Amino acid sequence: MTATVGLVFLYGLITAVATGLGALPFVFLRRISRRHVAVANALASGLMLGASSGLLMEGTRYGIRQTVVGGALGVVFILAGERLLEGREVEFGALRGAGARQTLLILAVMTLHSFSEGVAVGVAFGGGTKLAALITIAIAVHNIPEGLAISAVMRPKGASLAACAGWSIFSSLPQPLMAVPAFLFVEAFQPVLPYGLGFAAGAMIFMVFLELLPEAYEGASSTAVGLWVCSALGAMILFQRYL
Amino acid sequence: MTPAEPVLTVLLFGSLAAVLAALGALPFAGSRRPAAAWIGGANALASGLMLGAGHLLLGRGLEHAAFGTVAGAALGVLYAHTIKRCTGTHVVDRRPEQATADGLGYKLLLESMLHSAAEGVAIGVAMVVEIRLGIFVALALAVHNIGEAMALTDTLRRRGISAGEAAGLCVGTNVPQPLLALAVFALAPVLDIMLPAALGFAAGALTFLVLTELLPASYQRARGALVALVVSVAAGAVLLLEDFLV
Repeated sequence: MTATVGLVFLYGLITAVATGLGALPFVFLRRISRRHVAVANALASGLMLGASSGLLMEGTRYGIRQTVVGGALGVVFILAGERLLEGREVEFGALRGAGARQTLLILAVMTLHSFSEGVAVGVAFGGGTKLAALITIAIAVHNIPEGLAISAVMRPKGASLAACAGWSIFSSLPQPLMAVPAFLFVEAFQPVLPYGLGFAAGAMIFMVFLELLPEAYEGASSTAVGLWVCSALGAMILFQRYL
Repeated sequence: MTPAEPVLTVLLFGSLAAVLAALGALPFAGSRRPAAAWIGGANALASGLMLGAGHLLLGRGLEHAAFGTVAGAALGVLYAHTIKRCTGTHVVDRRPEQATADGLGYKLLLESMLHSAAEGVAIGVAMVVEIRLGIFVALALAVHNIGEAMALTDTLRRRGISAGEAAGLCVGTNVPQPLLALAVFALAPVLDIMLPAALGFAAGALTFLVLTELLPASYQRARGALVALVVSVAAGAVLLLEDFLV
């Protein structure tokens, strides 16, 4: 039991640290174009939709109604978090004004949705270790473009590379922290599992349509967005089935 | 309610889906045009229903053969992308203020027609799997057609076309739906081993069309939060209703 708790925490931590890798392209790229950010967002959207699709198929095996109720709770959770952050004016590190506000908002939203990702990792252990490993890899991979998105907002405003990577990892820290209680919760209450799977899927899907896709359409053509999202979605589904 | 002959069921529900598109022109019958947010929301509803239907078809395919389904989906995306490129409908400026641009009208009508052909394939494949699933997908796409027709009518009205004519055009562009549904259903005996690939093909094409046509039009007319909410609720409703009805 204790060993498994440690393993859940470790998996969660890996997904968090992977987010920091999103800052890596900035070592090589002096200027990241709007198109790069758009493609990264489209890629993240496809991976998240693929992961959600897998979570939903897994959840509906235990109970469709419970999964959908969980999904609704995930949507409400993200909505409430967004509402809480609206209209606050702050300085953030070296950043001020509109730049600081935007950075804080992005970081807060990313950190917020990491809670549900952490729940997903923890809950996934309730669905079997094989699925947990897959979801950990999936989340770790999709954390990289999220880190890229965070870095792409912060870097042009004058933040250092270390700050970009550090805050990217920070935004994902709730994952290991939430993974352990979520895992314990699922172990204790097996019937809650479809709710948990639905919750993570609902939160992820909502984030995709609320934040990632609109940003993708802003910087790239709809054809490019469509192709990137579909490729990532298909790759994620194959990944889930065959790894 | 269901005719004894399966072919008639396919024709009936495929046609029903096409005819219901006329309802999308109804809000434009008066002198005032519906608010942009309503049109964007209706389009988001159409997106959610279509994604939900795609998810169902994908799930049915993955149950049988994961690789075949995903390969079929890749083909579906490739097909939709190629036919859009070859017909020049891959670049369409959907912003409401560009509605009177030269050549936009025919592009949109052609695009709608190709779009509904893919939906016809989806209905036909679902009917092959199980008649009840086919009816469910047809009904979901029927409601979806109404939302989709609202965005099309919006542009047509701005181009000086009457609401009545727009209603006719919305139904007309959806005629490929029952035709393709029938054609795919007729292939049922030979589909057998290719069924997962066919399911994937339909799911891939639907998803690509949502991403390249419906979602951009939604985001241009309604706030991101509204679009996200409507898409999530509509997709969730498809999952829930499938449990009750199929």
